[in-house]
Order: sequence, then C-alpha cells, then structure tokens
Amino acid sequence: MKNKKNLVSNILTYLFLLLFCAIALYPVINVFTISIRPGDKLLSTSLAIIPDGATFNSYVELFTNRPFLLWMWNSFLVSGVVTFTGVALASTAGYALSRYNFVGKKSSMLGLLTTQMFPATMLLLPMYIMLIQLQLINSYLGLIIIYSATALPFCVWQMKGYYDTIPYSLEESARIDGCNKWQAFYKIIFPLASPALVITALFSFMTAWSEYIVAAQVIQYTELFTLPLGLKSFESRLGAEWGLYAAASLIVSIPVVVLFVVLSKWLVSGLTLGSVKG
Amino acid sequence: MKKYLHLFLSLFALLIFSSCAREKDPNQIVIWHTMRPEETQLLQTQIDRFTKLHPDIKVQQLYKETELMRSGFIISAMAGQGPDLVYGPADQIGPFEEIEIIRPMNDLFTPETLSKFRKEALVYKNGRLLAVADKLGNHLTLVYNKDLVQTPPITDKELIALGQKLTKRNEKGQQQFGLVWNYTEPYFFIPFLTGFGGWVIDSLNRPTLDTESMRNALGFIQDLRDKYKIIPREADYEMADALFKEGRAAMMINGDWSWAGYQNAGMNIGIAPLPFITSTGLYASPTVAPKGYSVNINVTDEKLKKVKKLLDYLLTPENMIEVALATKTLPTRIETLEDPRLLNDPILINSKRQIDLGTPLPIVTEMRAIWDAMRPAYQSVLGGSITPEAATKEMQLTAERKIRELREEIVNPLWGLIVQIMMFLVVITMLIMMRKSIMNFFKYFKRDSFAYLFALPAIVVMIAVIAYPFFYNIVLSFSNMSLAHLRDWSIVGFVQYAKVFSEPQFYEIFLKTIIWTAVNVFFHVTIGVTLALLLNKKLPGSKIFQVILILPWAIPQYIVALTWRGMFNFEYGSINLLLTNVLSLPPVEWLKSPLEAFIAVIITNIWLGFPFMMIIALGALQSIPKELYEAADIDGAKWYQKLKNITIPLIKPVMIPAITLGTIWTFNNINVVWLVSNAGEPADQTHILVSYVYKAAFNLYRYGYAAAFSVVIFLILLIANLTFLRKTKATESVYS
Repeated sequence: MKNKKNLVSNILTYLFLLLFCAIALYPVINVFTISIRPGDKLLSTSLAIIPDGATFNSYVELFTNRPFLLWMWNSFLVSGVVTFTGVALASTAGYALSRYNFVGKKSSMLGLLTTQMFPATMLLLPMYIMLIQLQLINSYLGLIIIYSATALPFCVWQMKGYYDTIPYSLEESARIDGCNKWQAFYKIIFPLASPALVITALFSFMTAWSEYIVAAQVIQYTELFTLPLGLKSFESRLGAEWGLYAAASLIVSIPVVVLFVVLSKWLVSGLTLGSVKG
Repeated sequence: MKKYLHLFLSLFALLIFSSCAREKDPNQIVIWHTMRPEETQLLQTQIDRFTKLHPDIKVQQLYKETELMRSGFIISAMAGQGPDLVYGPADQIGPFEEIEIIRPMNDLFTPETLSKFRKEALVYKNGRLLAVADKLGNHLTLVYNKDLVQTPPITDKELIALGQKLTKRNEKGQQQFGLVWNYTEPYFFIPFLTGFGGWVIDSLNRPTLDTESMRNALGFIQDLRDKYKIIPREADYEMADALFKEGRAAMMINGDWSWAGYQNAGMNIGIAPLPFITSTGLYASPTVAPKGYSVNINVTDEKLKKVKKLLDYLLTPENMIEVALATKTLPTRIETLEDPRLLNDPILINSKRQIDLGTPLPIVTEMRAIWDAMRPAYQSVLGGSITPEAATKEMQLTAERKIRELREEIVNPLWGLIVQIMMFLVVITMLIMMRKSIMNFFKYFKRDSFAYLFALPAIVVMIAVIAYPFFYNIVLSFSNMSLAHLRDWSIVGFVQYAKVFSEPQFYEIFLKTIIWTAVNVFFHVTIGVTLALLLNKKLPGSKIFQVILILPWAIPQYIVALTWRGMFNFEYGSINLLLTNVLSLPPVEWLKSPLEAFIAVIITNIWLGFPFMMIIALGALQSIPKELYEAADIDGAKWYQKLKNITIPLIKPVMIPAITLGTIWTFNNINVVWLVSNAGEPADQTHILVSYVYKAAFNLYRYGYAAAFSVVIFLILLIANLTFLRKTKATESVYS
C-alpha cells in the first residue's frame, strides 16, 4: 500500500519536473536555434529547432575574430572578486545581525533593505559623478565596489535568515569547549551555513556576471570590457548580429551553470542537525 | 575551503596589479558612435590605417546603444569628461546643442573645405557648425525581392495591385505577403504622412498632427491591412525582417541600414523610391538625416589638433567611398557622388533618387515629444480602439503638452531657502530622536565590538556607494532640473511632487504595478518552492533536473526576453501554435491589446524569476532536520500537515528576506517590461511605475520630475515594507 502510494507520487513528481524542465528549456533552445541560423535573423516563421542551412559559424567567429576570451577573463576577474567580497562581508554581517544585539542593529537591517527601493536608473547620474571624482572610471575597482554594494543587501539578509535557523546551543557548547567567539563562528557555524553561502556566492557572482548598465558607464575601453558589454556590442537598434549574440549568450550562461553544479554539492547537503535538539 | 581561499586571494592580487585606474591619455582620442557592427569594423580599419600614419595618436572607438549614447554623453560631458568625438544621426544633436556640450566646428574647417560637402551634410544651428556628416541617409525606401518582383511599383495604385497579386500561398503552401514593414512604429509611417501632404512640425517647432493629411494617411495604412490585405496583421521590425529574408514577403519598406545585410544573406534585392500617391500628386517622402561627427566641448586646444587630423582623415573622399560601397550608404562629398564606382551601383543610385525625394529630419529637441505623442494614438488606431479623428486630436494635444513640459519654466527662489530649512529641521529632529541610540553606540561600542567588527564592513560599503547618489536625488526632486535648466537648476519646492500626483495615469499605473508585483512574486514563490520540494526528494536524476531548471536564471535576460516576444507573435509564435493546434483554442493577439500584452510580460517575468526562488527554497530546506519528519510520520501526519506545520515555518526565516527583496526588485524591474512590450506597447498601456517614469521623464530630460517620481516610488515601497516587516517580524531572530 505504502509502496504503491510512493510510486504514484514519484511518477507525479517526475511528470511535474519534466513539464517544468520543458518550459525552462524551450526558450533557451530558441536562443540556440538563433545562434545556428544563417543570415542574422532573430525571428523566423518556422518552428524547426535545427534551421535550414544551420551553421556553427557564429561560434567559430566568436572565438577567432572577437576578443571574446578576453572579455570572459575580465568578467571572471570582476565576478570572482565580487563573489569573494560578497561571501566574506555577508557571512560576517549576517552573523552579527543574527546573533548579537547591538545599537543600530534594526536600523542597519532596514537600511540595507531601503537601498534596494530607489529605482536604480535614477542613481546612475550621481554615481557617475562620484566615480569621476574618485578617479574610478575605467577601473575594475569602481565596478567591484558598486557590484558588491548591489549584491550585499540580499546576501546579508539571507545569511541572517539562515543563521537564524541554526540553534544557539551549537555555539554555546563550542564556547564551553573553549572556543572563542571567532572560532565558534568560523569552525562551527560557518560550515553549517553552507547552503546559504552557496546562494550568497551564486547571487554575488550573477550580479557581477550579467550587469550591463553600470558597466557601460564605467568601462570605456574595449580591452577592459566585461562580457555583457561585449555582448551588447553585437547589437544595434536595427540590424544586430543576432547569430553572434545568441551564441555568446549561451556561452555566457555556461560558467553560471558550471558554478551551480560545483556548488550544488554544498547547497543540497543533508546536514546532520539532528544531534542538536533545536 | 583553504584551497578556494588561496584561489580567491590570488585572483584579488591579480586584479590589483592588472587594472588600477587608467590615466587619461592626452594622445588618445575616444569616439563614441551608434554604428552597426559592419560599419564599426570598417571604422576600425580606417582608424588602424590612420594610427599607422600618425603613430603618436591613439584612437579608441566605442559602440554605444542610442539611448546610452545620449544619456551617457550628457552625463559625462556635463561632468567635464566624455569622449572627444560623438558620431550619430543629426537628430541627436538638438539636445546636445541646447545643453552646450558640443563645440562648434566653424573654426576647424576652411570655407573651401566645407564647400566640398553637400549642404545637408553640414549641420548648422544659429550659424554654428555642430556636426559634419560623412553619410547621408537613415532613409526608408522600397526594398523588393527580385525573385518575386520584376519591376517595382511606381504609384500607390500599382503597389496595391502588385501587392494583391503577390499576397498568396507560395509553392511551399506558406502564406506570402505583398508587402511587410514595421508599420506600427511612427517613424515607419512618416513617408505616407508626407505622401498625403502632411508633416509633423512647423517652422516655429509647433506640432502639426491634427490634419486631414494625417487622417488620410492613417486610413491608407488601415486599408493596406484590412481592405487590400497585402500586409500582415501584426508585424514588428524583427518579424517583418524574418518574413522578407525567408522570401515570404515580396516587398519591404526598410532603411539604408538594412540593405547590405540582405545582400550578405544572399538575397537578390532591388531598391526603388517609395510610391507616388495618386490622390495628392506627391511622392511618399521619407525622412533623411545626415550622420556625422561632433566634438565634445571639453576637448582641449592641444587635443583639438589631433582630433582635427583624425576628422580630416576619416572624411577623405577615398575613405567615404570605401564606406559607401561596403555599407550601401550615401557619401556626402560632392566629388564622391560622381565617382564611377558609385554610379555603377544600382542600389546606391536608387538610394540617391530616394534621398532627393526625402524630407530633412529637423534636429530640434521637440521632435522627441512628437514621436512620443504619436506612438500611442497611432497604435490605438491600428488596434481599432479609437477612430482616426480622435487619434489625430489626441496626438496633437499630447504633443503640445509634452512640448510645454519640455520647455516649462519653474523658478521660485523662495523655495530654495524653505526646502533647506526643512531639510535642516528633518536632520535635527532625527538626531534628537536618535540621540539615545547614538550615545548608547559609544557607550556599548566596546562591549559589542565583536558584532560591530562583523557588521560594519558591509554597512560601510553600502553607505559609501548609496548615500551620495541617494541624497543627490532627494535634492533633485525639489529642483527644476530639466532641459532648460540642466546646469543652472535651482530648488523650487514641491512642484514636481504635485505634478506626479496630478498625473491622471499615475494611479492607473500604480494599480498595474501592484498587480504586476503580486502576480509575479506569487508565482515565483509557489513554483520555486514546489520545485524545490520535489527536487529535495532526491529522486534519481534530480541533479539533472536541477541544472535544467536554473537555466532561465543563468542565461542573459536580454536575448531570451526577445525570444519570448517572438513566441508571442500572433501568426508565427509558438504559443499561439500550441493554443490552436494542441489545445484547439482560438489564437490570442498577445502583443496588440493592452491586457494580453500585460499578461505576456508577466508570463515572461515569471519564467525568468522562478529559478531564483527555487534555489533559495532548496537551500532553506536543508536546515530542516530529518528527524522532525520522521517524528511526524510516526504520529501519522498527512503530507499537507507536514508542509504546514514543519516545512513552511522552518523555511520562513530564509524565505522572508528573499520574498521581501523579490517584491522590491519586481516592483522596480524595468527590463522585462521594456523588452517584451517594446517600451510599453501597445499605446503605452503596459507600463509599470519605473518604466513609465523612465520613458516619461528621460525622453524629455525632465530630471527633477523623474527624481520626484522616484522618491514617490521609494516611499511607496518603504511604507509597504515597514508594514510587512512589522507583521512578519523578520528583523528579529527566531531564537530571540
């Protein structure tokens, strides 16, 4: 009886997952079709996945005639540092906000949230003036600081939320065993929060990886371009190089997927919290 | 963990060494342009040749999207920086000239040099030479597929007759059209307006939209679609382009930018002037704009010499002809027009015929207001929701209002002082209210030093980045900063706020924004959590599902959003094909009616957003000890009881921040609306607050108004979130 019920529920689960995978995949496949369609057509009246005269020229062109690898490297550099900064600052700040009561705690939490409420496009003009005065135009430092600030509010809040689910008793016993505050955090709680760290890392990475508008203001030299800037250079209002654009978009998403696959070990890692009575 | 730390640290070191701020190089000339990719490549080749001749000068060319070019150049030039040269169609120069960010070039060229250019190529205003063009064009013509059309039509009657003959099923059984083009966009409609004797603006820069000619022209387009049925029911630029490229449209109305692309795609095309309108005796006359270079006002005299050298080189007859032949655009030097290579090119010859029949595009800033005013009413007529009479009246009134807004003068010196005093009072009250906290901060700083050590770095980064721009905007929202007062703006009080609230559309769009946010967040969370729960069963193959399901998040939004737009196409989109063929439902005109278009935008955004919530939920589920479920099983709990009593309460602390921020982001998410509905189409009916403020304010340079609008958006979100947080107590830890 129980087994039969399980079987039915498993089949339903698979069906549901398959349906959503199909929904998730279909537009992506469309992008793939554009990338191998000859003649730079964004749309087509045919629904064929493999278009007539399919060609991988766009991919070849991307790696041979365009500085695509350079842009990719630049983006890795920026995103890597932003990820590191995001994880370092959010894991600590989230911890303080979850575990300690201090003056200004509530306003800091609200303050972080309110930074997200102002329409971002309006902040561009003053931000640009600020960057010019600090001489951070055409420098990755300017980008990294802005991206970190963009990613932090979410990361801090979400780290805080996750720490909240980890019982206090863990640190208490660690402190009794002779750990200091830092050790209790670093040795006990930090590893336990790995699912949240994975999300923080992914989110910080994505913030930097796909951002275009700020980058377009800050970076003015082709050799400093990050991927989104490079991607946009294939496009113009009427008559873009859609083949290249689509091919590049797919390649751009590969590192994100790889990162996710690598990190998902820690994202879904059945923690043994059972030993502690929450 | 150690391993990764090392990797990150070395990355960090590399970064510090590789790219500290680059000094401004006095020998480097920077050009911003809006050229198409193949033009850009040619420009680069010519620059390379130039730098070989002048090794002491470096040149950097940079493509900018039209809008970013405009806003970016204004921002940076006003800050005393920016590129040395900007290149683009002359109509962008209007605002640049008014803000005084381009340097007149009268002294750079001798009258003798200037006399060698066609007169349209030299853009003057008030006697000042603002741009020198190397290309003439941006004009629409009739492009025809020579495999389907032997002789192009000359008159509108011939066009219709030929169109009807060619609108049929082709050999493959597919629907073929006589004519296609992006007719829903006013720019692509102008030739018919002129053909019926109308125009959009008079010599005093007043709109002239409410005319008999306009109504006749509107009627003509409707007839092409409904009476003669020679054009598709729905066609944006990309769809028209696809139909023409696939040989399923015999003729297309498109600009000089497209011809080279059709030839490169292997098509046998011909170019002909747009038809002669028999009832008026006029030719349909497209707008013609020169495209050329302007000099940034901030260029120093020293550098100007180098810039001049570069300009001279790029404007040589030889280089112009090279560009003309490769990109099928018309050069501007008189001597080049006699060159046999050009005279032997049938496309260029016909293009020149069309240009001679064209209408110059005025470079005044008012033109933006006119385009913006025409678009909604024009699209409503095509959609059948208003009559041509009502539409032309509405166009005229909207254009007049927008021009008033553009030129409005608000000065009130008194308010400057009042607002300053008010702000001072606000700061003082805040300090008084917070005095206890501030004193406590110092008192307990030592006790809480560990917490501060952990919390402050993140907070300091945030304040450093956000504080200045934020307060700058607050100040701006009380100001009259606009095209007329871009540099000399002053505080004028609450005028801009009053404008925001007296905008009749504000409330309607506010309601739409709430619906937009609620529906999106609801589906993001429910779909995300459901998928996470299913994945968390860890059935065989879950890993693969997981990876596929995050794809919508991983792939760059821009191109997928455009693919979705294609999927919503009435005739060829996969969604309608699914509806009609599989589910036997009637097809939906997704992008033409306001409600359906809004639903289409929401569907796209749900697709883009669910993976994010799924990942968060997946992470949250890991914090639930399995023992709880085991205990519940022993007690014989049903699945929904476990969901309600264990899962939901325990993932709440992690989900609440994600949902709160998700709501804020969705509320302010401009991208998807912009891309899928093509900036609010049809008829500006699919806007949410942010896209509306962006379009309404930035198109007309109303920065003070936009700032006030943004502050209102900010306050709405702030109040909503404070209420929400108080209810959920999310700032407090579950254990405290």
